[in-house]
Amino acid sequence: MNKFEPKIIGFLCNWCSYEGADTCGRSRKEYPSNIRVVRVMCSGRVDPQFVLEAFHKGADGVLILGCHPGDCHYKEGNINAMKRFALMKNMLRQFGIEDERVRLEWVSASEGERFAQIVSEMVEKVRILGPIPGKIRNDN
Amino acid sequence: MKDSESAEGRIGVFICECGPNIRDTMDIPGIREYAARLRGVVLARQVPLLCSGEGQAAIRDDIVQHSLTRIVIAACSPREHEHTFKKVLTDAGLNPFLMQFVNIREQCAWVIRDKSVATRKAKALIRAAAGRVALHEPLEIRRIDYQMDVLVAGAGIAGIYAALTLARKGRKVYLIEKSPVIGGKVAQYEKVFPNLECASCMLDPVLDNILHNESIELLTLSEVRDVVGYFGNFSVTVSEKARYVDAATCIGCGACVDACPVSVLNEFNGGLDYRKAISIPYPGSLPHIAVIDKENCLHFHDRSCSTCSEACPFGSVNFEDTGRIREVKTGAIILATGFDVFDPARAPAFGYGKISNVYTSLQFERVVNSTGPTEGKILMTNGKPPSSIALVHCVGSRTREFNEYCSGICCMNTLKFARMIREQIPDCSITEFFTDFCLPGKASQEFLNNMPDSLKPEFIRIKSADTVALSEEKGAISLSYEDVNGIIKQGLFDMAVLSVAVEASRDARDIAGVFDIPLGRDGFFQEEHVKLSPVSTVKDGVYIAGCAQGPKDIQSSVAQGVAAAGLVLSRLIPGEKMAIEPMIAAVDETLCSGCRVCAGLCPYKAITYNEKENVAVINDVLCRGCGVCASACPAAAINARHFTDKQVMAEIAGLLEQVNEQV
Amino acid sequence: MTTKPKIALYWCSGCGGCEESVIDMAEDILKIADAADIVFWPVALDFKYEDVEKMADGEIAATLINGAIRLDNQEHEAKLLRRKSRFIIAHGSCAHLGGVVGLANFSAKKEIFKRVYREVPSVLNTQGILPESLTLESGKEMELPAFHDTVKALNQVIEVDYYIPGCPPVPDQIRDAVLAVVKGDPPPDGHVFADTKALCNTCSRNASKPDKLQIKEFRRLYDSEWDPEKCFLPQGIICLGLATRGGCGERCIKANMPCRGCFGPPGNVVDQGAKFLSAIASLMEPYESSEIERLAASIPDPAGLFYRHSLASSIMRGRISE
Repeated sequence: MNKFEPKIIGFLCNWCSYEGADTCGRSRKEYPSNIRVVRVMCSGRVDPQFVLEAFHKGADGVLILGCHPGDCHYKEGNINAMKRFALMKNMLRQFGIEDERVRLEWVSASEGERFAQIVSEMVEKVRILGPIPGKIRNDN
Repeated sequence: MKDSESAEGRIGVFICECGPNIRDTMDIPGIREYAARLRGVVLARQVPLLCSGEGQAAIRDDIVQHSLTRIVIAACSPREHEHTFKKVLTDAGLNPFLMQFVNIREQCAWVIRDKSVATRKAKALIRAAAGRVALHEPLEIRRIDYQMDVLVAGAGIAGIYAALTLARKGRKVYLIEKSPVIGGKVAQYEKVFPNLECASCMLDPVLDNILHNESIELLTLSEVRDVVGYFGNFSVTVSEKARYVDAATCIGCGACVDACPVSVLNEFNGGLDYRKAISIPYPGSLPHIAVIDKENCLHFHDRSCSTCSEACPFGSVNFEDTGRIREVKTGAIILATGFDVFDPARAPAFGYGKISNVYTSLQFERVVNSTGPTEGKILMTNGKPPSSIALVHCVGSRTREFNEYCSGICCMNTLKFARMIREQIPDCSITEFFTDFCLPGKASQEFLNNMPDSLKPEFIRIKSADTVALSEEKGAISLSYEDVNGIIKQGLFDMAVLSVAVEASRDARDIAGVFDIPLGRDGFFQEEHVKLSPVSTVKDGVYIAGCAQGPKDIQSSVAQGVAAAGLVLSRLIPGEKMAIEPMIAAVDETLCSGCRVCAGLCPYKAITYNEKENVAVINDVLCRGCGVCASACPAAAINARHFTDKQVMAEIAGLLEQVNEQV
Repeated sequence: MTTKPKIALYWCSGCGGCEESVIDMAEDILKIADAADIVFWPVALDFKYEDVEKMADGEIAATLINGAIRLDNQEHEAKLLRRKSRFIIAHGSCAHLGGVVGLANFSAKKEIFKRVYREVPSVLNTQGILPESLTLESGKEMELPAFHDTVKALNQVIEVDYYIPGCPPVPDQIRDAVLAVVKGDPPPDGHVFADTKALCNTCSRNASKPDKLQIKEFRRLYDSEWDPEKCFLPQGIICLGLATRGGCGERCIKANMPCRGCFGPPGNVVDQGAKFLSAIASLMEPYESSEIERLAASIPDPAGLFYRHSLASSIMRGRISE
């Protein structure tokens, strides 16, 4: 039986979380290949349109990773990400996208283990939820 | 074929085997074939080691021979080698931003065991990169002229060393000092630890240097009122208060001081004695010029008195002085505005201000100073030397109620006092009430250890400074405290010295406001990074040094002053132009409605609102390229170069295209 | 005698407000009549579908279609008019973006039918009948238009040349659009007959904004009083003007009501709701996560508010359907 393999898009900030993912790689710690990473300079660059576009193009989940509050390379970009995320989550719920499908987490450059853990957890949670039910309403 | 000819351009994909690292974990030939078929790709090559000389040469040659206009590099992490390949592109005549770097090692080969799964992921990543890179634009690195002069605010030890370092090779420095004299707190000390060196002997030659340095323009009685601009091009408005004495002719003879009929408390001696309305702050102060305190001068009340002017043999008194406003252009700013101390009146238990013979450590510095109110003699208010002195540590420090941090210098300072008291009054009983002893640095522990028993004070470890209470008892000071076991004990003393916390200066907030830099939680100026950027701030070109950044000793203040100067010297280089980061944001004025959402968001204050044109303007020198404004803009009027909406969306689409295949 | 160019007007799922706005052109409608012949306008004139079917392809110079597409006869007619017209102009918010009608995309067809035909207290439907496209009754076939699962904007069904935004549109802009097209001076493809920039560009309250725009609390209109001269946002009232194309003359603002976004997103934006969300979130004052969440939760219906007129043409288009 073919297990459902969720597609997760991850937005990783250049300074902390992307480096954290690299750290994970350097220690050869495996994690599910379901995640596809888009590198941005700061989690504050993640426009809600990107998240919606990801779902629209077939993602089953979206993960946004940034620096821990107080550590943002650009001072408070991650706080902006947090604000948008709080509102976006409520809105996505109205679109029928469950909370577990969109996550915002803080991963520092040294937290390779944590990165792998977050990805694994998310993949499993989204796997249980299944693919986005039906289709996003577009025939185009 | 030119870049502009087709949107996709001619894309070359280079896949690195990275030795066995990537080669053995996925089907590279298969990936290469796949890449070759992608839209816009005219060449796909597999290379054993791309970062090697041969690898780089292969890319360079291919760019030229195949007229490639966009490059995809699939290899290790971009954080490892992006700069390497940017240089390769530049050498081949291609703009370095026409490249997209794909991480198929750290985030693919090294974390996926199944070869076919790794291969599939690598294909998706490369496909996404090809879609993205087709939309890349060449970015130019702009270079601009900048100002060489530097402004140093604060002529304490940190500011002085910053100024002297900068002035070594003739760099023009504007040294601004709020008070009428230079030297800051160090000029108020008699001796400094750990070697009990004479402070003025140490400091005076340095101060002299400042006064006679041709590159340093000293402005006393001056403060910065406004700052406009950015690193390399600041425009600073300095307001100089009137001194009412002509600095060029006054020789500091003091005749005016003797003649003046008005006496007020002398703030330079911590309010322990009096000065006149016209004064020279303390004997030996530099610059050695009189100054009139307008608030207390009779002449300014009712024009009734001109005694000082009449007494002056050189006619240096000038009641018509109005001060002046100056605008100076500088490339960088160093803030070394020093500190204030905790006011123990805020903790009534210490009896400060109510009980006689209770001093702060700063006041006591004046007491033991030969230029102080008692010419250096330790005397009680009744004129007699004390037979017992209590030295209380941690007043206002290490307590949730006032300041949680340890000031780091008071323990050494108190030990210094103990030595000085013992030298002056050999049979004075000295008791140090401490919680912990903080003695960092090479010579500090030694200072305590090497104290002969005969010179040592009595050390009493107490539960905390919060448990200390002073009260008056029969003309003496009764000091009660809780010892480490919580038992309340008490002692009688003739005099008490409270080692008060080093605090941010009272006008730190105002100064931070003018310079647009943040304050930390404890009110000191916030450094850019606590470990790696201790003298920089988030405002590019504004540096901080000395106790303005946080409590520290003289050595560290000097180090920071020199460090800040060093950073300035390494960035403002005569003849060089400043390169501006190209991956920044830009406002499209045809789309910007002037809604002003972005202007308040930028932590670097790079965005301003042009009221006349009703649009936002981004300063390309200050912008650091985080992209927060671009995503916040509700009209998508801000272009985040190299991370545009279209580029990111193309990448997302590419990553998800395999709808029919299993991940 | 030269024949005047032909124009047509058609309505789909709408409220009739767009038709009203045509009438609101007042005397200017004579300018239209001078310049063109109206050959099809169900609400006002007695031409039939068959009249349109008989025309040659491209015979109509321009057709204004208002209302969103929900029923298959609307789709059919839109496609017919597309064939017969040189230019199609999406007229009004519903045709442009799906409009308020598009908010139905938060519900599935099944839910809508159940609610409308069975659950609503004022409906008496003891047999629980639901509409069908084809019904046999007394040996006769009766057809009803099929009800689509999803509300669509006009350009999701046919190619649209121009757009007149607004709910309702501004009569002057309707006049300008029609005249531009029939007088042979058509603007570039995809042109929207309004400003390119967002509303703040022309809003008189923009100057009253503080240097640092911040929102401490979100307030609801029904229990608030606000300063009628100052920008809504710093007062905590959500105004979509930031993310809405200008050109309406700030009719709502002048009536002391915040903008509801009916002109759709400004020139460069695809998804109005997402962009507005990004801006308004960034303006929230708190830094601490629980405070941020509390403030975000105080907006009871972000999707409905931010996408009030543009849901059907947004990236998600509506609630995910089963």
